[in-house]
Amino acid sequence: MLNRRHFIAATAATFAGNLFAAPKDSTTPSPELEKLGSVALAEAKKYKATYCDIRIVRLRDQRIGLRLSPDRGTGKTLSVPNVGEDSSFGFGVRVIVNGAWGFASSPLVTKEEIARVTGEAVIIAKANASIQPKPIELAPVKAYRTRWETPHEKDPFVVPVTEKLDLLRNAAEEIKKNNKVFGSTASLNLRSEDKYFASSEGSSIQQLILQIYGNLDATAVDRQAGISRSRSYVPTQASAGWEYVPEMNLGENAQRIREEVVEHLSAPPVKPGKKDLILMPNHLMLTIHESVAHPTELDRALGYEANYAGTSYITPATIGKRIASEHCTFVGDRTSPRALGTVGYDDEGVKASEFTIIDKGIFRNFQTTREQAHLVGDKESHGCSQADSWATVPFQRMPNVYLKPGSPDTSLESMIAGIDDGVLIDGRGSYSIDQQRYNFQFGGDAFWEIKGGKKRGMISSVAYQGRTPDFWQACDATAGPSYWRQYGTTGDAKGEPTQINSISHGCSPTRFRQINVLVTD
Amino acid sequence: MFTRDEAQKLAQKAMGFSTFPECQVTVSASEQAYTRFANNGITTASLATRQSVSITVTRDSRTGQYAANDLDDASLKEAVKKAEELAAIAPPNSERLAPLGAQQYPRTFDFDERTARARAPEMIPHVKTIIDIALKKKLIAAGLIERQHNVVAVANNTGLFGFHESADSQLTTTIRMADGSSSGWAGQPSTKIAELDSARLGNTASEKCARWKNPQKIDPGNFTVVLEPTAAADIVRLIASGFSGRNTEEGRTFLSKRGGGTLVGEKLFPEFVTLRSDPFDPRQPSSPWTGDLLPTRAITWVDKGVVKNLSYDRYWATKTGKEPTPGPGGFGGGGGRGGGAGGAGSLQMDGNDDSLETLIGSVERGLLITHFWYIRPVNTQTLQQTGLTRDGVFLIENGKITTPVMNFRFLESPVRLLKNAKKIGQAIRVRGLEGGMMIAPALVASDFPLPSISDAI
Repeated sequence: MLNRRHFIAATAATFAGNLFAAPKDSTTPSPELEKLGSVALAEAKKYKATYCDIRIVRLRDQRIGLRLSPDRGTGKTLSVPNVGEDSSFGFGVRVIVNGAWGFASSPLVTKEEIARVTGEAVIIAKANASIQPKPIELAPVKAYRTRWETPHEKDPFVVPVTEKLDLLRNAAEEIKKNNKVFGSTASLNLRSEDKYFASSEGSSIQQLILQIYGNLDATAVDRQAGISRSRSYVPTQASAGWEYVPEMNLGENAQRIREEVVEHLSAPPVKPGKKDLILMPNHLMLTIHESVAHPTELDRALGYEANYAGTSYITPATIGKRIASEHCTFVGDRTSPRALGTVGYDDEGVKASEFTIIDKGIFRNFQTTREQAHLVGDKESHGCSQADSWATVPFQRMPNVYLKPGSPDTSLESMIAGIDDGVLIDGRGSYSIDQQRYNFQFGGDAFWEIKGGKKRGMISSVAYQGRTPDFWQACDATAGPSYWRQYGTTGDAKGEPTQINSISHGCSPTRFRQINVLVTD
Repeated sequence: MFTRDEAQKLAQKAMGFSTFPECQVTVSASEQAYTRFANNGITTASLATRQSVSITVTRDSRTGQYAANDLDDASLKEAVKKAEELAAIAPPNSERLAPLGAQQYPRTFDFDERTARARAPEMIPHVKTIIDIALKKKLIAAGLIERQHNVVAVANNTGLFGFHESADSQLTTTIRMADGSSSGWAGQPSTKIAELDSARLGNTASEKCARWKNPQKIDPGNFTVVLEPTAAADIVRLIASGFSGRNTEEGRTFLSKRGGGTLVGEKLFPEFVTLRSDPFDPRQPSSPWTGDLLPTRAITWVDKGVVKNLSYDRYWATKTGKEPTPGPGGFGGGGGRGGGAGGAGSLQMDGNDDSLETLIGSVERGLLITHFWYIRPVNTQTLQQTGLTRDGVFLIENGKITTPVMNFRFLESPVRLLKNAKKIGQAIRVRGLEGGMMIAPALVASDFPLPSISDAI
């Protein structure tokens, strides 16, 4: 329990900054971090813990946003900015005592508090051991003493806020240039995570993860018809430095969504029925997230998430069986450039790697952590342990999951040419899937009719519904490597109490045959 | 955690570091303890403390905000300086209003010390009770018991100060057949941890699991449904966003009239539908102040089927000559990061004395639904939602439960659901799987669209 004296006498903000600072070419963690980490490890040993790890984490989030909307009465465009920054610093200690886990955390990063909180984690572990059916078993891991950071040229936090605001204002004003556009918003979010990890296995790892998210929104309203429509541009959300931002191309995409939101307002609703679909990467990425990445989490498959996120239609008995067409090869990968799930090491000190999940339609591997590997006969973890804060317990979270591209000969145009009656879906809409990941219904942000092998005008009110294994077996083509794109999602919820993660998925435009298309209200 | 005096001194100190004409400080702290279980054993347990100070400064309508969790003098000075640096370069906010002066905030919550202090010794016996029930019946239990203690203070340099301390708890369990052929759920949120009833929840979930075994496929379509209170709240609470006065007047909600105007004053729902926000109801915690820092108050949104009020923030109320209001609530789990505790959920729908059995007895042919899962908006204007039934769906024939049936996807809006409501029952506080809280009755509605079957158990 954090008492009042501790609360008022908290550590200095500058302490956190200095703690993680180090010469750029340094290859080992800060000595000060190592000293703090060793307090937890020594204290746990004193209590006869068979395992201990500590994460000391500093999180920073900067958000810059601008909304343009009409003044009531005059119609004059009003500008409403949102400029703010949050930072958070603390540590969490995990122990195994008597074969059971215990965890405790605190925002006060001092040697005394680390010792006290380690004791709290031990108390919790001992209490849990009273109804622990089997002792926790951890897969072996190598010990590392190292540093890792998101490759970047320019720290996005040092770029002046004025430069960020100018970029957003230009984009928001570009969207508003058509007087049929009711309102526009533009935003940038920057995130940094300084993280130090030490474990009783001998690891001491310092990491810096940088992420950038951008967003443009346009809204159009037809009051006579009683219709409101929107169109968004969500550039690839990336682990990167500021040098990535020009690649978002906000200006050109602002023009595009301005035209498309107006077209969307008068677009006729889809005629429902069985249709062929072309799903673009910034739409299909979330379908992959929901129907491939989540069901291949081993904790779900074994019932550990039964009370909230659910279980899975895939079980250990599915290994080696076909669950998708031969066009579908998926990998889990925490090493790929600019992906949100890319790290040097996971929150158990396991080095990041790539592994096959589905190979040409055959299910091969679950996502695992150290305590799960032995449950499916694996000798080591796939490095999928992550916590969203110093205050939360690390558990199994998905890596970046990618659909490998098809043959270089397969183009978007050739896939469209092979469709008589279909829909091309772009961007994110409504996503809903059952707790075993069978029945899904997904919408998009914009839709185009495909008739007689050609892309026609925009349509509206589209959703498609299916059963996951049938849907992926209905995939008959995915475009070649030159079409492959990676996108990110920042709100992935799992666990109780819920933790929120950011992750990337990549794919080429992909075709699915005879999918059930619905018209929505 | 801190006292009212400590919070006030901390806020005064932070404001003292600011050179700007307007400065607002929010100081908050929380402590969360939980035990999570699955496969008839404990999987994780945690004790986590958090604290934060958020500083918002404004000059010439230019606002900057900075939040940190270091609270010593040097850190507070640094945080104020960063907020002022952001404000200096921010563009003016065209919708900025002058800050409020001193406010008299009502007391909204009966704080329970035992809930705020509960740790493993109080929680593990509940877990053991549920696991023992499951083991006895050769079933598999998973679940969560959690409590949260929150303290928040707000202050500004024009005399406003407020302090609020709350505690909340919840216990939920999902009990499944070992072969995965059935699943049952039960949950209870409570502002008093002593009221959590693990035996009742364990028995309810295990009985539901036993009764739902080997569910049958029946053709999808539109059904009369009996929604248990959690299921009713899962959908009804999503009507809240439609009461935004601004969005409605701008033509963007279900309460916007075609061609302009609103549907306030019109009877849209049956006589027995009354929706209110009551922050003084002791069953669920609510903040004493609104999002604009005005004192909260009770407000009726729908009275006996007639739309009575829309929600107005200070800015839009000023523009339209209306009184500012609280928001409807019902959105999320509050301060528990989805874990369920603390928070702002004061939405409620009135009920009556009818039991769930009475409602089931009134249905000739229909479905009883335990709760829903993965509910997402399909159309933010009509409020059409999609999601799935979960952990127990049963066919009702001639007023009696006859057959367990497979899960369905639904496609429905809270607006249409309430228009089609036929009967309601007793109202209780519930918390949905995805965190939404409200006080809701069981509800019978006709013509509920369930367009496809889900194979999930």
